[in-house]
Amino acid sequence: MDDIEPRLRGLMLAGLAGEAVPYRRLLDELSRLLRAYYGRRCPPGVDAEDLVQETLIAVHTRRATYDASQPFTAWAYAIARYKLIDALRRGRFHLRAPAEEADALFVPAGADAAMAARDLERVLGELPERTRALIRETKIQGLSTREAAQRHGMTETAVKVAIHRGLKSLGGKYAETVGGSDVEDD
Amino acid sequence: MSKTTDELIESLSADAPRVAPGAVGRRVALGLGLGGAASAVLMLAWLGPRPDLADAVMTPMFWMKFGYAAATGLLLAAVLIRLSKPAARVGSLALVAAAPFAVVAAMAVMRFVQAPPEAHRAMLMGHSSMICPFRIAAIGLPVLAGAVWAVRGLAPTRLTLAGLAAGGCAGALGAMVYGFACNETSAPFLAIWYTAGMVVVAVLGTLGGRSLLRWR
Repeated sequence: MDDIEPRLRGLMLAGLAGEAVPYRRLLDELSRLLRAYYGRRCPPGVDAEDLVQETLIAVHTRRATYDASQPFTAWAYAIARYKLIDALRRGRFHLRAPAEEADALFVPAGADAAMAARDLERVLGELPERTRALIRETKIQGLSTREAAQRHGMTETAVKVAIHRGLKSLGGKYAETVGGSDVEDD
Repeated sequence: MSKTTDELIESLSADAPRVAPGAVGRRVALGLGLGGAASAVLMLAWLGPRPDLADAVMTPMFWMKFGYAAATGLLLAAVLIRLSKPAARVGSLALVAAAPFAVVAAMAVMRFVQAPPEAHRAMLMGHSSMICPFRIAAIGLPVLAGAVWAVRGLAPTRLTLAGLAAGGCAGALGAMVYGFACNETSAPFLAIWYTAGMVVVAVLGTLGGRSLLRWR
């Protein structure tokens, strides 16, 4: 990966000179790098792909600010980081703190399991209704894929795909906060 | 999901004409120039040039005031150009930007210690010390507006620092314009009250940098 700086820099300089093909390749490469960068850093509620696109637009409209005497990677990284900070500051994600009764704070000992159940409901609530029902039936109530498929009038494959996608999207959102512990629980 | 990103890349790269080098410097110069012109109009309409301007331009003190403000303004403009780019490093340029002040301060101290004690108060306070910094700040504001316009359209990533440079530069150029209206003639006055006026605008720029210079 040592060659990434000279390679991207070369593409950028060609792009600044008005050559569309290398410029396009630069934006392609940047979009992949940005997707990985934001994917790991986006808090729940922010669409990483939106940030990728916003950053590509900023790179494009402000490309005149690239100083050829400076490293390209540092320039691009500074824009990516600025956009991430800006997204956080703008509060496009807001930490959810629902209004509850006061006893939400004063929980009797041993209520952890109840709270875990409540967290699970909240997390599942972010999924589409049918996906949520499928996950609840197969993963919590213990129905087989075939039974769930019959109940919803779907093929077994469609049920598997829906569950897989649902879990994956939850995994993406919550990987950093809960990922480690649910492996241990299994 | 990535289909729309591909489409975006397609449309961006289809519209990417050549970028002339030095575009950042030209934009900052344009903003400062327009702001400076507005400042000059403000100074002429509000205070008018000093009546003895034709004689004053023959004196070294007039040019010392002009030189101090202009040199500080230009050096801070160079700092501002750097800070208008992502991943900016200011480096030793910040020290160089303080050099004109160092020269003026040294000269002020020299004049002050050479002068008889009874002249000290007049040297320090002149006749306009209480209004000078505020006039400089007011005349500097249009330059600050021009600088903010220019830098917002670029890509600063250290907004507070860029605000400081924009404010300092605007204050210095405001002081340069004010020098055509002001008839103070002592180096200590220049070192203290002109600098104070620049600092007022620099503080405004620093406080406002984060919100004024934010770009999307």
